[in-house]
Amino acid sequence: MSVKTSLTLLVIAALALSTVVFLQKPAEEESSPQRLRFVSLAWQEQALATNKAIVAAWNAGHPEMPVEYVQGTWSSIHDYLITAFETGDVPDVFHYESSVIVDFAIRGYLADLASLISPEMKQDILATAWAAVTRINGEITGVPFLLESLVVLYNKDLFAQAQIEPPTMAQPWTWQELRQAALKLTKDNDDDGAIEQWGAAFGLRNSANMIMNLSIAFGGSFFKKAGPKYLVQVGAGEKELLNTLTDMLYYDHSAAPAGVGQSGASLIPGFFSGKYAMLVGIGAWARQQLVENAPAGFRWGVIPPLKAVTQNSGISAQTLSIPQKSKRQAEAMAFIEFMLSPTNMAKLAQSDWMIPARQSCLALPAFQNHDDGWDVVTASARFLSTGPWLGAPGYTEWKSRVANPILQELFANRLTVEEAARRIEIESNIVLSRYQRRDAPW
Amino acid sequence: MSLIKSKPLLFPIAAHAALALYVIVLVLPLLWLLATSFKPTPEIYSGHPTFLPKQFSLAHYAGVLQEENILRSMWNSLAVGLLSTVAVALIALPAAYALARFKSAANHLVLGWILTSQIFPAILIMIPLYVVLRSLKLTDSLAGLTLVYVVWALPFVLWMLHGYLKGIPVELEEAAMIDGATRSQTLYRVLLPLLMPAVGAAMLFAFISAWNEFFFALVLMKSPSAVTLQVELARFTGMEGQARTGPLAAASVIATIPSVILFGVIQKWFSSGLLAGAMKN
Amino acid sequence: MLVLLLSVVPLLRGIYLGFTDYRLGDAIQFNGLDNYAQMAGDIYFWQSFRTGFLFTIIVTAAQVALRLGLALLLNLKLRFTAIHGVLMLAPWAMPPIIRGIVWRQLYDPDAGALNAMLLDLGWISQPINWLASFQLAIPAVIVASVWGEIPKAAVFLLAGLKSIPADLYEAARLDGANARQAFRHVTLPMLKPVMAAIVSLTFMWNFNTFGLVWVLTQGGPGGLTRLPMLAAYEEAFRYGYVGYAAAIGNVMVVIIALVLLMYLRLQLRERVA
Repeated sequence: MSVKTSLTLLVIAALALSTVVFLQKPAEEESSPQRLRFVSLAWQEQALATNKAIVAAWNAGHPEMPVEYVQGTWSSIHDYLITAFETGDVPDVFHYESSVIVDFAIRGYLADLASLISPEMKQDILATAWAAVTRINGEITGVPFLLESLVVLYNKDLFAQAQIEPPTMAQPWTWQELRQAALKLTKDNDDDGAIEQWGAAFGLRNSANMIMNLSIAFGGSFFKKAGPKYLVQVGAGEKELLNTLTDMLYYDHSAAPAGVGQSGASLIPGFFSGKYAMLVGIGAWARQQLVENAPAGFRWGVIPPLKAVTQNSGISAQTLSIPQKSKRQAEAMAFIEFMLSPTNMAKLAQSDWMIPARQSCLALPAFQNHDDGWDVVTASARFLSTGPWLGAPGYTEWKSRVANPILQELFANRLTVEEAARRIEIESNIVLSRYQRRDAPW
Repeated sequence: MSLIKSKPLLFPIAAHAALALYVIVLVLPLLWLLATSFKPTPEIYSGHPTFLPKQFSLAHYAGVLQEENILRSMWNSLAVGLLSTVAVALIALPAAYALARFKSAANHLVLGWILTSQIFPAILIMIPLYVVLRSLKLTDSLAGLTLVYVVWALPFVLWMLHGYLKGIPVELEEAAMIDGATRSQTLYRVLLPLLMPAVGAAMLFAFISAWNEFFFALVLMKSPSAVTLQVELARFTGMEGQARTGPLAAASVIATIPSVILFGVIQKWFSSGLLAGAMKN
Repeated sequence: MLVLLLSVVPLLRGIYLGFTDYRLGDAIQFNGLDNYAQMAGDIYFWQSFRTGFLFTIIVTAAQVALRLGLALLLNLKLRFTAIHGVLMLAPWAMPPIIRGIVWRQLYDPDAGALNAMLLDLGWISQPINWLASFQLAIPAVIVASVWGEIPKAAVFLLAGLKSIPADLYEAARLDGANARQAFRHVTLPMLKPVMAAIVSLTFMWNFNTFGLVWVLTQGGPGGLTRLPMLAAYEEAFRYGYVGYAAAIGNVMVVIIALVLLMYLRLQLRERVA
């Protein structure tokens, strides 16, 4: 066709399409003036289905205040929320994570839920979970409902092959025992100098979160409160885990170097193919990926939390929060109570493969069965505790400016643990002092 | 063209080979995406990827097309894209002409604006922009998004077109005007045919910018029914950089097609435009 | 007029913010040049600018050269030009997020096609961790960037080539010029304004590049690939220091504008009539 024809066609198409589409918009506005907007971050297949079902159930029972379900994504939710908060067009309920919403609360974006939460829910949800969302001044930033737990996944067949007995809840492994098992499981099958099977793999791409949560077992917490200020100190407890990991990587050669630049979940294909016998420090939610995508006949299990000084690890909860600027806070809370009723919370936790925050849910048989490691994961809930860094101003910047980059260099073997420790301390103070310059509530 | 005749045999072969190499490198990732979209999920997650699917499956496409909002968001993106493309072309052409031919103080201001708007981080003007749009009641509306994209694409298109215009000798217009044509007639009858490739490129640019844009759409479009395709696509990704790779690949292939079709259409404009009879003496 | 409202006003406000100490959630207070003083002493800032310049210069040079080659090739009336023309658009037609995800998967140490291919060819014996390697991350990101942006301006170069009047080539041929001379004396000079525009815009865009690099490395490893735009994004959206981020934006504009003005003045002065 000639130039003129194609040009005319384009213009016509544009006008036609836009009239059709643009005209549709106003009609929507009229139909539901009163509605709650709920932004959810569910993305795994089962979780998506459960979320939508719950919303549909609410809508059926509450036609005068329907919930509009908006699917957000983990990678873009932060920008979405920040611009929403700043411009005032906020959702009424949003799903996010306990460590990040602290920042929002500090900036005054969130409604204080302390007065809105029913006593029943307050009672039933674990005290540690509440601790993760309560600020020093008593303000509650969100309702925790899914608890994150870092677990170790292992390949049952490879364990059997190497004649290793997996640990049980009654007799957990120490980190030393993990190291030994990893050594046994590392094999160079065809003697070509290259290792085909690695005993363990750690996803160390942005490892600050994992390191901090796991270091609690060693008694190390990195952050210490000195009066009103926060200090970062890297002492013996903090260094132990770092030493163990670097030893496994570069001394034992039992941990795969490929894990250094990857996140835990991207190691899953290697896990399936038998390249990695154990995946350490991976989120419990990843089990859904295993169940959905594993090749037929693949047998895997979950190892109980490893013991150092204790078996404790840092808690991280997924939460539902209400923005301060929402005009329907009471109704929003009613929806949250509905969505996080014992039955519904159980469904949500199961479909997202995470630990429910309600004690009544934890006792349910679904969370106690041995298949797919539910019993181990649920039992690990009692080892969750809050780290002192929650609520520290500047934690986000510290993580991405100081912790992650230095840890990346450490695990790439460009620094020794001592050098890394020193650098972390020095740079932490530079970064944190920025937040302590003003005497605002930051 | 006469350039080829100087080296009869070697040149075309070398040229063919070079072009083929370019195309292979440029297209390979897209082909990989295409291949992935046809692989069943367990194969995608196996540790040893091969290029061609071992098993051919249309499951991902079926799944994607069933997800409610995908088609809706495609319509939205298409409408916004096409409309902003046409609008940009209509506005930019006369404006670029004015910029290139009329010397005035405003020129420097415009150039300054062009430069600044291209360099200053877009994300930082997001919030003031939103506030302005809200006072115009244009947030959460496709019309508002279209306007934003038009304004967004203008600086680049303006600059490009004005560059081409500068490259066309003024004598052409003078000749036409001596023959009695007005300025606008000159613009549309004489210059436009010469500029067709440039205008085509500009429209392509406007469309693809609008079609591929993510951030503004994410922030401006709040209702699920108003969402554009890119924002919808992002929903296939999850935590820690994981993604539902199969459906994502299928959806991405679908998302890539309109741009390719548009170029196929606009392609013709590139072969016209040579000044066969331009030099009317 | 709409243009003014939608583009200029937000821009001006953004620039203004660069002179305040605005933090998300706080009141805005004018603080003069404090932000810039802070920037001067901020090692992270200098690091990201250095990385930015290095990255931008390399990527721009590579892109422009490759684009010119591509445009020239497409300009010759070879067979299959039409198909080639459409296919070469592939990177541009792919949405940036998808580009990022695809390249990240290609670079994946375990499941990535790149490593699989290199292993099969026997060129490497262990999978390489491209995006996490302190030596290879920057080149890897550069390759992905160059690839992604070739078609975008190649199209404009092609348009520029097409608008060179054929008569000029005729005249040159009559004067006895061969292909290479025709290129130097007809093509290049006629292309100058277009080239200048494309080079400067490419430079600006590359300096500003955000999406692709964010998806690939998030500024890692060790902050190596933290380009200025990423730094500004983190400052504003992650840490809440919008005032400071805007100040970074202002500095970016000033520096780039200076560089470009110098470049353009050089280019356009040489233009042969």
